[in-house]
Amino acid sequence: MSRYYYYLILINMVANIIASVPTILLQYHKDGSVSSMALAVVTGTILVTIYTRFFNAFPGMTLPDLLMKTTSKWFYKPFIFFLALMWFVAGLITLVTFIFLLVRYLTPEMPVFQISLLLIFSIIFGCFMKTERVLYTIELILLITFPLILFIFYKAYTSKSIEWDFVKEAALYVNQLPNVNSFASCFFLFLGVANLFIFNRFFTKKQNFKWMHIAFIGIISTLTLFTTYFIPIGFNGFENIDDLVYPWITTSDSLRMEFFMIERVLFVFLLFYLGIAFLSILIHWHVSIEFLKYVFKLEEIKFRGFNLGKYIPILFFIAVSLLFVRVMNEYKLFRISIYFYNTLIIFFPLLIILFFYIKRSMKNADKAKQN
Amino acid sequence: MSSFETIIWINEQFKDTNELVQKNLEYENKHIVLIYIKSLTNFEMLQNLIIKPFFEMQTEQQFNIYLQALPQFQEVESKEQLVLEIMNGNILVIIQNEYYLLDIRVSNNDKVNSTYVETTIHGSQLALSDNLETNLNIIRSNYHQSSLSIEYFVKGEVNKHKVAIIYDKEKVKSDVLDSIRKRLKKVDKQIITSTTQLNNFINDKRFSLFPQMIITERPDRIVYNLAGGKVVLLVDGNPQSVAAPVVFFDFMTSMEDNYHTVLISLFLKILRYAGLFLSLLLPALYVGVTSFTPEVFRTELALTVAGSRVGVPFSSFIEVLFMLFFMELLLEASIRLPKAVSATATTVGGLILGTAVTEASLASNIMVIIVSAVAISTFVIPVNEMAFSIRVVRLVLILITSVFGLAGLVLGFFVLITYLVNLDSFGEPYLKLYTASKNKESSGEKA
Repeated sequence: MSRYYYYLILINMVANIIASVPTILLQYHKDGSVSSMALAVVTGTILVTIYTRFFNAFPGMTLPDLLMKTTSKWFYKPFIFFLALMWFVAGLITLVTFIFLLVRYLTPEMPVFQISLLLIFSIIFGCFMKTERVLYTIELILLITFPLILFIFYKAYTSKSIEWDFVKEAALYVNQLPNVNSFASCFFLFLGVANLFIFNRFFTKKQNFKWMHIAFIGIISTLTLFTTYFIPIGFNGFENIDDLVYPWITTSDSLRMEFFMIERVLFVFLLFYLGIAFLSILIHWHVSIEFLKYVFKLEEIKFRGFNLGKYIPILFFIAVSLLFVRVMNEYKLFRISIYFYNTLIIFFPLLIILFFYIKRSMKNADKAKQN
Repeated sequence: MSSFETIIWINEQFKDTNELVQKNLEYENKHIVLIYIKSLTNFEMLQNLIIKPFFEMQTEQQFNIYLQALPQFQEVESKEQLVLEIMNGNILVIIQNEYYLLDIRVSNNDKVNSTYVETTIHGSQLALSDNLETNLNIIRSNYHQSSLSIEYFVKGEVNKHKVAIIYDKEKVKSDVLDSIRKRLKKVDKQIITSTTQLNNFINDKRFSLFPQMIITERPDRIVYNLAGGKVVLLVDGNPQSVAAPVVFFDFMTSMEDNYHTVLISLFLKILRYAGLFLSLLLPALYVGVTSFTPEVFRTELALTVAGSRVGVPFSSFIEVLFMLFFMELLLEASIRLPKAVSATATTVGGLILGTAVTEASLASNIMVIIVSAVAISTFVIPVNEMAFSIRVVRLVLILITSVFGLAGLVLGFFVLITYLVNLDSFGEPYLKLYTASKNKESSGEKA
């Protein structure tokens, strides 16, 4: 597989640490989070495999392209619009979470409005780049931020303050039945593959996708989920862990770099995770804007020769985000994330039926052509 | 048209100059007319190649054949070409109704300079000259490939300079070559004197910050670029060439990287990138850390910084801009100053201003250290053009950080990366990670 494919999957996995995923998991720490995680790894890997196989069969084609060929207009237009909304919300949740994080931990005096503007503006213009350029950006920023994030994980695993007994205690709850909310939040980690809906445009050659690649994804996801869930427990104890709003921030603040210029790992963690969040929102919103382009034919809206249509979604995105930041607080965001993740576990497996339909009609179309 | 009319027409074209010389030579029923511009002609060659044989040869026909056999001989295609070539320093010989152009110009700018901008310790110390022919000679004698092609354009409405496009026909990307040709044809400026001007004229953008072509004066770099499939442009009368398309990493490579042992050039590269990041981020980091989030640094360091700022009446933002402003002035002044005085400028700027500013507590000691570190690390960037762009970007980052704090710095840096990735240099992505396997793929596609 092309390395760019892994970036798409990896970012969605790693970015969850600052989103509500660990909070949700820890919320249900006695009600089946561990078994949900195990279940999610299995189902998630299967989903990734099916999705990748499907798009591998149509190199260089986006989902809207395929829908346009196989389904009628009344179906695909509202459907793609719905997908655009979904991706926008996915980006929005990450955005708002990170805005709250920055206000809480980095610049408490700064107005929320100012921080929101900073984040939105820095991301929004990146969304209009060509798909390949988005991937190049991802690669470069990952190259800068990822080694340090790995270093932080290394610090966490080797820290003296981590109590493995708590981890063992948490693992004992594996016998509880899986829980929908925990399962949904874990399942979200695997949905990076859904970005192929648009990003498949870049993969114009047929890729090699073998069981080795599947195993690789399975292992990476297991490691990520393990780190996400058990490291905060190891640092903060098991009993009242569900009271933490940002378990990972608290965890990173218990780490020290004794001999470095920056002593508290929290700030390194925040600033470098800002990069991962930036990429995550960039990917989601890029996909969203590309979907919108298919629905509304934005390139054709012109004002005195100036291509105005491209910029209409910007206004919409900025306005909705600012409004959302104003009405949200951490609790509401938490609830909304849960609802959002729960919708996804129904929606994405259902899409597989659509894939079968597309595959069949494409085959029929090919046969008709050959005859 | 008879030769008589042509002579009158040429004289008409040159009526405003008194440099045009017209000589009628007649001897033993041979008759020729010579027309040339006095200040451009090599008299010795004129004497040896044309005048002497004229008197020695028996018939006009023999002289005719002799002229055509000369290496300096050039075909005449149109009347306009006559005027242009005479202005270029050719001599026009008219025998009855036949026209002969002979290139016997004298040029005094064909001495090869020594490297001045891109100096290295190892490798050749010779650069290009001001003369196009000499430069082409240098390139050809360094690049022995039959596929090396050269095309000429005449640019500049008024001064009509020759522009040469040089490329390796087998390696060049044809779409890049086409777009350069097309854009070059569109250039309609009055005066073109330098290759660096072309950088602005053919990049199709009104405002550009980062150079889309790489300037070099080193023949080894030109050869390296040609072999890499780039197109090199040269302008007559200019000792610098530009090459396109470029990627960001070209600007971070010095020719010396190839001349050192592997580990040493790796070390130098790391040093260079560290310099790039320092010069970009350090001043903004200072603003962010002192004014917004002093708790980021370990307590001892935060206290040292705060302690050194005791008595400084400005906010860190003003302090940084104040010191950077003087540093930029110093840099600019040391370029403009005559060499004899430039040492004074450094002393006054570096020593006197630096110590006095801290003693007057207009800036903290740490600020002075940061500014000098930034200045030094800017010089580490091997290609000067990029250093200029980085200086501007640095200011933008400081502005963003002073409004948004450290998060602004980090995001500003990411936006810079996004911007660079989004830039094109003649259709090629400006910033992108290349890997060995990727290269194989692209060469495979070509084959």
